[in-house]
Amino acid sequence: MKDKKPSSKYSSSTSPCSHLRDAYNNCFNRWYSEKFMKGHWDKQDCVDEWQKYRACLSQHLDDKHLARFLEAEQIDQTHLTTSSKKEAYPCDSQS
Amino acid sequence: MVTGYKQEYVYKHPWERVTSASWRKFADDENKRILSHILEVDMLNHNLDPSNGILRTTRAITVHCPGPWFVRKIVGQDMCQCVESTLVDAQNRSMQLISRNISLQKFIEVQEMTRYDPHPDNPAGWTLCRQETSIRIKPFSALASMAEKVEKRCAERFLQNSGKSKEVMERICKYLEAEATGLSL
Repeated sequence: MKDKKPSSKYSSSTSPCSHLRDAYNNCFNRWYSEKFMKGHWDKQDCVDEWQKYRACLSQHLDDKHLARFLEAEQIDQTHLTTSSKKEAYPCDSQS
Repeated sequence: MVTGYKQEYVYKHPWERVTSASWRKFADDENKRILSHILEVDMLNHNLDPSNGILRTTRAITVHCPGPWFVRKIVGQDMCQCVESTLVDAQNRSMQLISRNISLQKFIEVQEMTRYDPHPDNPAGWTLCRQETSIRIKPFSALASMAEKVEKRCAERFLQNSGKSKEVMERICKYLEAEATGLSL
């Protein structure tokens, strides 16, 4: 059965925020690998890129949509907890 | 009813590289071609706690999820909005993600939990990925009478996509490894 890609309201190449998104993502990925993963977690970079990208999103994602996403986030983040104890690894010879 | 399954996969790469790869999955054109079911990914929120190195983010993901014609007729659309919430604990080297749909909720509830931790047999060099997925057709929805069939088809589709995701991850890990090796020469 062939899947036809629908014409999305924002297709990746024509999304109004895609250039700002790419700029932010590139910056984030560099910060993550080169700083955060190397123990520099004192601050996040990419503030300027983030502000521009986020402002664009607020403008183009309608309010109802955005509110729904953020509401879902509130719930899910409470399920993500940190623990210094790792879960016990089931003993098998998979690897 | 609920259909659920668990998967485990070992990446023979260090945790830092694997989690970096996870963030880059939807980036370049080749990856986008492979993961063609992912239409849009947007970061909505992020928060870094500098006291403990905990990064929390939320992303909005639009997925193309066509079903068979009889499902499309009932549901009326083949795009689904999802939310992905992530926690990265840099200090303890653990990453957790929860993804779930927030549209089509009157028909279906899908939730996927993913964890990346250093592999206990080789914590410095390997990463263990554990994933749990649950799919539930809402009992009183218009799809309820074919719940088992639809859930099974969804599970098959997700497993297929999961395979593509691993392919992309391995590709990115190899690229990052080459980059790191090149730099150290």
